[in-house]
Amino acid sequence: MLQRKLYRQRYLFLMLAPAFLLVLIFNYVPLVGWMLAFKRYQVGLGFWASEWVGLEQFKRFFMQSTDYVYLLQNTLSINFMMIITNLTLGLLFAVLLNEIRRRFFVKIIQTVSFFPFFISWVIIYSIANTFLSSSSGLLNELLMKWGILSEGLNILGESKYAWPLVILLEAWKSVGYISIIFIAAISAIPGEQYEAADIDGATRVQKLKFITIPNLMPTFVVILILNSGWILNSNFELFYMFTNATNWEKMEVLDMYIYKFGLQQLNYSYASAVGIVKTIVSIAILLSVNAFSKKMTGKSIF
Amino acid sequence: MHYKVSPGDRVFDFINYLIMILVFIVMVFPFLHLINYSLSNPSLVSGKFLFYPKQFNLDSYRAIFANPDVLNGIYISLARTIIGTSFMAIVTSMAAYVITRDDMVGIKFIRRYFVFTMYFSGGIIPTYILIKSLGLVGTFWVYVIPSAVSVFNMILIKTYIEGIPKELEESALIDGANDAYLFARIILPLCLPVMAAISLFAGIGQWNAFIDTQFYNAMHPELFPLQYVLYNSFQTITSVEQFTNSMSGAEKFRMLTPQSLKIAMTVITVLPIMLVYPFLQKYFMKGLLLGAVKG
Repeated sequence: MLQRKLYRQRYLFLMLAPAFLLVLIFNYVPLVGWMLAFKRYQVGLGFWASEWVGLEQFKRFFMQSTDYVYLLQNTLSINFMMIITNLTLGLLFAVLLNEIRRRFFVKIIQTVSFFPFFISWVIIYSIANTFLSSSSGLLNELLMKWGILSEGLNILGESKYAWPLVILLEAWKSVGYISIIFIAAISAIPGEQYEAADIDGATRVQKLKFITIPNLMPTFVVILILNSGWILNSNFELFYMFTNATNWEKMEVLDMYIYKFGLQQLNYSYASAVGIVKTIVSIAILLSVNAFSKKMTGKSIF
Repeated sequence: MHYKVSPGDRVFDFINYLIMILVFIVMVFPFLHLINYSLSNPSLVSGKFLFYPKQFNLDSYRAIFANPDVLNGIYISLARTIIGTSFMAIVTSMAAYVITRDDMVGIKFIRRYFVFTMYFSGGIIPTYILIKSLGLVGTFWVYVIPSAVSVFNMILIKTYIEGIPKELEESALIDGANDAYLFARIILPLCLPVMAAISLFAGIGQWNAFIDTQFYNAMHPELFPLQYVLYNSFQTITSVEQFTNSMSGAEKFRMLTPQSLKIAMTVITVLPIMLVYPFLQKYFMKGLLLGAVKG
């Protein structure tokens, strides 16, 4: 019976096979690689023959160095501020754009604001360099030309500019994209609420404040939770482009640290251990954001 | 809708339009400036907002298109975009159809098997070691094979197929069509909108990718895509002579600067996206909302 069914479905199995095997190889096999974190990997010995060392790599990260302090600080602060900035600006932008009645104008603004979402961080680095570099950037050239500064600001290199720089660049790239989700949510708000407000004589600003924005909060919370689980995995390319020898103290995040120790210094075991720490932190963030929003707003996804 | 226009409304509208115009400038001017910079005489552009080119000329582009690394980069970028996207679309859509079939043997396990990977990944290092031991390092295929399955896209396609009336499938099966025929001739043509949307996203992703080159192919200049050639140029182009030294008639590029070369290269790297974007934006928005609804 089962054999006949299997035979009848042979084409389905053939269609499934490539995806099934690729996922097995590229998604499941690397999970076994987490064992590296509990070994002292030596290239000559290979994966299986390398010596088991238990939690030694984790001890090294947490006890023999204080790197985790600045790494967790940077990783959590930057990523958290990024998502809050993006969502807040995206929401405000969507609300304001929705108030514009000239459809053609709305379409143009939406088109241009969505565009940066599709360009790579290499391009954004090049743009940032053109405008902000300390020697030949337009901003510094202007500030010096006007006599406001005698020496250019090193926005791309100095650590005090690191956080605002990447948060604003990320906002520039993603606000248009996030606003589209909010605009869809605005169109789902029932019209009766606005009609009732009109009868009560509410002004436009009051309607935005008491109807539109409160109605968007569930969307805000859902996107926040959905993103909080994997924010630590995103934007590797951003940090890769903008972390440098002079601003790393404020810019280096867990991913870059893993990359540095793993692929540059070939310390696979230590880097894998830090990778596990990162995964645990991700899960902890996801669960706590979920719990927090459940308590504050009654909204959660688990 | 009928609006009563009060003075308060006018102020609100005025400020609102002002904000939107500011947004427009912030979004558009950086690109405009770069394009104008690349078309200008580099000695005239310092400390100026460029709304139009100063002393229009194409020398930067002549120098760039005469550079063999850039030409090879364009070739690799096009190849990975076309091959990588097609491969992903074929492999992912076939599997997406299979997971819509409730009668498939082991369907519950198969669905969980794919969805699980959206929550857990092996991380940078184990993935690197795997790809290295598979012998993909230093090959073109590292751009195509590891990204051939997108579970996220698979779920988008599955959701779309589930919206197609079941009767179509059933009547085809009664007529004696096999599953492969059913998928290729009946289901897939109906999925064109969703296939277009995911292919566009994947295509843009392939065109923009550079970090995989840094990870796996940094020692293989013949496999550098345009993005990576551009990335390299930030560090390596220190003088115009060095960029153009293998070219005939290099002296005519004397007025160029390293900065103007980098900017012109940036423009040609972003230009393909700029050109397709206005026509395809509708698909992009649809694709995005498909994803958002499904979560």
